[in-house]
Amino acid sequence: MSILGGFIAGIAGVVLFATSGYLISQTVFAPPLYTLIVLTSLVKVLGFVRAASRYGERLYSHRATFSLLSRLRVTYFSKLVPLVPGLLNRTRSGELLARIVGDIESLQFYFLRVAYPPIMVVMVFLATVIFTSAFSIWIALLLVLGMLLTAFVVPGIVLAGRSKIHERVRSQRAAFSAEAAELLYGFRDLKLYNQLTKRGDRLRQMSEELTDSQRQEASGLLRGQSLHVFVTFLIYWGVLVLGSYLIMQGSLAGVFLAMLVMATNTVFEEAAPMAILPAYKQDSEYAARRLQQSIPPGQNLSSSEEVLGKMTPDAPSIKLAGVSYQYKDEWRPVLSDISLELPAGSKTAIVGPSGSGKTTILELLLKLHIPTAGSISLNNISVKAVDEADIWRHTNVVLQQGHFFRGTVRANMLAGQEHCDDSALSVALQRAQLQGLELDAPVLEKGENLSDGEKQRLALARVMLRSGKLWLLDEPTSSLDYVTERLVLKQIFEQAAADTLIMISHRLAGLEVMDKIVVMDRGRVVEQGTYDELMNGKGYFYEMKQIELQLLAEIEAS
Amino acid sequence: MRRKASLLSALMAAQRKRLVILAILSLGLGAALITQAVLLAEVVQRVFVEGDTLGGVAAALGYLLLVMAIRVLLIYASGRTGLSMAATAKQIMRSRLLARLTGSSLAGALAGQAGGKISVALDAVDESDSYFSQYMPKMIEALFIPVLLLISLFILHPNSGLIVLFTAPFIPLFMVLVGLSTKRKSEEKYEQLAQFSGIFLDSLQGLVSLKLFGWTKRQEERIERSSLNYRDATMGILRIAFTNTFMLEAIVMMGIGVVALELALQLVVFKTLTFHTALLVLLLAPEFYNLLKNTGTAFHSGRTSMGAIRKVEEMLETVEDDPQHETSDAMDALARKQLEQQLAEGPPLIELQDVCFEYEHFKLDTGRLTIHPGEQVAVVGRSGSGKTTLLHLLSGLLTPASGEVVIQHQPLALLGEELWFRHIGYITQHPYIFAGTFADNIALGAGRAVSREEIVAATDAAGLTELVSELEHGYDTEIGDGGRGLSGGERQRLALARAFLKQPSVLLFDEPTVGLDVQTEKILQRSISELARKATVITVAHRLYTIRHADRILYMEKGQVADSGTHEELLARLPQYAELVTAQREGGLSSRS
Repeated sequence: MSILGGFIAGIAGVVLFATSGYLISQTVFAPPLYTLIVLTSLVKVLGFVRAASRYGERLYSHRATFSLLSRLRVTYFSKLVPLVPGLLNRTRSGELLARIVGDIESLQFYFLRVAYPPIMVVMVFLATVIFTSAFSIWIALLLVLGMLLTAFVVPGIVLAGRSKIHERVRSQRAAFSAEAAELLYGFRDLKLYNQLTKRGDRLRQMSEELTDSQRQEASGLLRGQSLHVFVTFLIYWGVLVLGSYLIMQGSLAGVFLAMLVMATNTVFEEAAPMAILPAYKQDSEYAARRLQQSIPPGQNLSSSEEVLGKMTPDAPSIKLAGVSYQYKDEWRPVLSDISLELPAGSKTAIVGPSGSGKTTILELLLKLHIPTAGSISLNNISVKAVDEADIWRHTNVVLQQGHFFRGTVRANMLAGQEHCDDSALSVALQRAQLQGLELDAPVLEKGENLSDGEKQRLALARVMLRSGKLWLLDEPTSSLDYVTERLVLKQIFEQAAADTLIMISHRLAGLEVMDKIVVMDRGRVVEQGTYDELMNGKGYFYEMKQIELQLLAEIEAS
Repeated sequence: MRRKASLLSALMAAQRKRLVILAILSLGLGAALITQAVLLAEVVQRVFVEGDTLGGVAAALGYLLLVMAIRVLLIYASGRTGLSMAATAKQIMRSRLLARLTGSSLAGALAGQAGGKISVALDAVDESDSYFSQYMPKMIEALFIPVLLLISLFILHPNSGLIVLFTAPFIPLFMVLVGLSTKRKSEEKYEQLAQFSGIFLDSLQGLVSLKLFGWTKRQEERIERSSLNYRDATMGILRIAFTNTFMLEAIVMMGIGVVALELALQLVVFKTLTFHTALLVLLLAPEFYNLLKNTGTAFHSGRTSMGAIRKVEEMLETVEDDPQHETSDAMDALARKQLEQQLAEGPPLIELQDVCFEYEHFKLDTGRLTIHPGEQVAVVGRSGSGKTTLLHLLSGLLTPASGEVVIQHQPLALLGEELWFRHIGYITQHPYIFAGTFADNIALGAGRAVSREEIVAATDAAGLTELVSELEHGYDTEIGDGGRGLSGGERQRLALARAFLKQPSVLLFDEPTVGLDVQTEKILQRSISELARKATVITVAHRLYTIRHADRILYMEKGQVADSGTHEELLARLPQYAELVTAQREGGLSSRS
């Protein structure tokens, strides 16, 4: 649709100028007045046709582009779904996601400025060529040559010269950005080590090199544009010479000379976007390539094994045998050789310093990753053989970073199970010590309007509505004060009395009630047992306890 | 607003010569443009009307080709000048930004988001490019060429000149209208737009939760809906812009149409015009309109760039200067030499003389405070009482608003930070690991060339030898951003290794608030007491152990040193202190604790 609009606009423009050229030439022989009137009204009509179709073209091409982008987002999102959280373990996952969003946005230029102009140019040219060939086949051929040159050869040359320097600019930009980040994030350490001036000088030099490369790059594009203009002029000139020659030969009526010359002039105006096409082409292609790379291939979690097992509605027993896991881009495993047996209905705490692999165990249980080695089974059925969606349905999970979306408290609690009525929701809120929160209260993106403590309690309230018999809680109360923490956990443990529960805990105090405490360090289970066993054993847990006793409580200044 | 003019005008002032060149090039370009049209009309006239032979117009054709070549060269030269201007301007802006950043005080450097600052130094500066490379050359062209064209039109055929003159003002008028109405509309919808585009990012970030709760299908629909809404909202804005350009083109077309009609009438009915002139006018008129249209486009990109320049300027203003920088060489050479020697020999005497520092609603005032050479001082207090700020002031990272830090009877401000930094160590809660090899990261501590043996010894002292043996290239493994990731405990130990290599005479230590792994905790205790043998150690303490082993405890409250003494003394006479050190972390489940 938009191509049609653009085509009409281009052609109308060409015809418009051709007609006005012809009009003037005609006047030399003083034609009858009616010819003149017809011709001039034609000129005017064409002018409006051109402007109107240009309008239509823009409207449709942009609309089409935005629709395409929306499809692209949805497709990309559904492609990413099976890949998380594997994709997001990197420290800079936030940047990666922002980049994906930006890359998809920048693809709009691909449709508007790269894919679409050549089609337009070729169509307008072809029509013009057909039109001119009615007068002279030679001039038509000259135009074809001009089209080939401006639409393909010139952008080709520019592109060839650009790719190398473009790559350099890109890497220099990235290097500058990384260096600047180091300067800012490491500002304190650099300053203390008297390195700041040195780093600043290095950065300044990098900036100079970057500016220089950028100028070179822009010069390349400018050369392309100038070349484009030159080719246009040359063809224009050629048409003039050829036209003159043909007139002298007598094979072309003199009347048409002005017309052809002006038509040539206008048709090349349509080709102007071709000169800047290379810049957009490279950027969009780069964006597309990055998007492709963000999705690592062949990481299909639903293994080839037939999905046989189902989670039973009873509390499951859990068994890990020699489980290891290593993220693709990490240099050492997060978990090595973990073996655990947790009977149905047991309550287990996992403790250990940050980075010891506690969260990864929960993720493996949820089949968000497949262990690199070893096996995990729930109720003696290998997790591999169970449909992951089935596990999720029967599990009550609270992650460290719960997700909240824009909407009401009610909508955020309900999502997933629509069968709860308001009174059930209110009870859940109450049990999570969130009595003050209205069901109709708004929740912003990512729960921005809630405090950390409120978010944790809302996540717990949400999970209390579920009927799963397996509870996986990752530091669910780290932002709560002791009193509230005790009240909320009491509710959870009452509800989960008969269920299997695993809780990652940031505090050691209070773990006396757990059936088992698993102590982790550097991806290994260093100890396990009850609180008393571990304390009496005077091992790692005991030492952790001593450190905790040494730690002063963080008390806010009043 | 006055300042805004200043950065731009400073940037332009450096480029006055290039502006003159651009003006000359524009004049040349205008002349070439007109000559080209004249020659073209000439050829057509001779061939078509006078029936000249090809040989007869050969000279004119040759000139035409020449003029065309010159015109291309002029376009190229003008473009190049623009690019040089942009490059110079960008370079100036970036060096100013960098000078500001490296010269800023700690508070300035840490205020605001680092990502935002980097984006200003990179993206905003790059965005400003088109102001110099596109907008300025186009504006200068717009200043000269249309005037030249208009003059020629008036000379050739005043009627056409008048038509063009009357229709032309509509073009800038419409440009302004487009700009205003789209701006208003986009401001109206801004929040909506931001929300739409936010949903996608939000969904990606919450993907794990979405998955676990089985909401992905639903979220897909949300993304699609919001994308389509986004499209409709954007199209609403674009439609206005397109309608206006439609009107604009219509005006241009009308203008050219009227010119053509008028020319035809003159030619045929009144016979007052030659074919040559008519064709020439018809060639020149569209050029005139085209130029105005291009100027409009350049104007648009110029506005965006101007916004970017403003961003750069804002950052130059907000990042404050560190006043201490300029005063570093003010001490006489002899005293300096003496002091250098004393610092090299052992821990200095440190005195705080009513050091004050204010930050937003917080005010720190140390009063008079002496720290003796080799003393072990623990600073305790509730969070927000000013403990870390005190360390920053002692280290010289922050400059006091009033009062002085005095080292061996010499004010720190006179001493100069370079010398002071050479003798202090500062272990922060979150030591920064730089992109580089493991060895480089430790060597950073020394501030001099160090042998591998020294690095190995420091690594060993900090208990990192085992880690090094796990790394695939040992000491030469890349760590930090883009390299191998280290855990919190390992980072802490790496900072210790830096300190071991440096052997500072004053060690400032911000103890971690959370418990680290058992191994690191032990190493920290052992290492600090080892380093303390040759140094004054001032610790912001979060552990009872540290407090008990300190010679003196400073208890801070609301930015002031409320009391100081040993643990037992304070415990006996200061109830707040007793409360702080006995309040244990209690567990949430505990039924018997």
